[in-house]
Amino acid sequence: MARPDHSDLHNRHYPVEEDMALQRRVWRFERIGWYALLLLIGLSLAGLFSKGPLSNAQARSADGHLWVEYQRFMRNGASDALIIHLQGKPGKPLEVAIEGELLNGFNVEMLQPQPLKASTAGEGVRLWALSDTDGRAALHVTLRSDGVGRFATRVTSTNGASVQFSQFIYP
Amino acid sequence: MDSVLRAAAIYLALMVLFKIAGRRSLAELTTFDLVLLMVIGEATQQALLGDDFSLTNALLVIATLIAIDIGLSLIKQRSRWFSRLLDGGPTIVVENGQLLHERLKRARLDEGDILEAARSAQGIVEIRQIKFAILERNGKLSVIPYE
Repeated sequence: MARPDHSDLHNRHYPVEEDMALQRRVWRFERIGWYALLLLIGLSLAGLFSKGPLSNAQARSADGHLWVEYQRFMRNGASDALIIHLQGKPGKPLEVAIEGELLNGFNVEMLQPQPLKASTAGEGVRLWALSDTDGRAALHVTLRSDGVGRFATRVTSTNGASVQFSQFIYP
Repeated sequence: MDSVLRAAAIYLALMVLFKIAGRRSLAELTTFDLVLLMVIGEATQQALLGDDFSLTNALLVIATLIAIDIGLSLIKQRSRWFSRLLDGGPTIVVENGQLLHERLKRARLDEGDILEAARSAQGIVEIRQIKFAILERNGKLSVIPYE
């Protein structure tokens, strides 16, 4: 580090031996650390660590009959909602399959409304929900993150609509 | 396995955070600082233990924390460079009755802090009565008056 101009910052040898070069590095570290903390707070307000604009996401199928609201970022041990919206014929049961790594990375804590039927489908589950008079149905799934890392999930309805999304779980 | 990783991660993260906070931040504990420390402890506790409240987990976490602490102190003993890096060194902030303003500014201190330490330790009320004031490694201010 260059020798500082200001005499305040030169080394003193009495009554203690100083290492001002190191001390100035420490001070610089504190200063940079302070900006890093501000950045961290900003990013978490923005939702980089779950629950925020960066994290809230929607995946919509090409025909618009199926869309899923999910969190891009989640945290191990925390629970969050996943909402599956379906559009079909009024008063008819709608079938939806959840496949992929969802069940590896998460525990399904709650499912509302209760599906008419549920069965396994390969590695995933298949659910039947009754639609309302407009032909819409929404499944609210409360997930508790169990794993760490990236988990890709695919939601498919029987009318062919399908969406894919991936979620990242922080440790 | 995860008990050890959790403890090590928390140890490291807290060390970096408290280095950023600087040696002065929690050296002179006010009532509020005490509360803040307790809240930090509460926030840490969950991450340390996760959802495993077993005796084994608690012992593993404590053992890991203490082992890291001993390990670091052993390294510090052997390497002066490492010791300086972790603990820093003392910094003179008043010299022969003169404030070293550039240092105070960087250490986030002001004249009031030095006078406070001078009053409580030495009964000194003016800066010009101070021969040396030194910001120690633990964040305390040592005040040495003129003879």
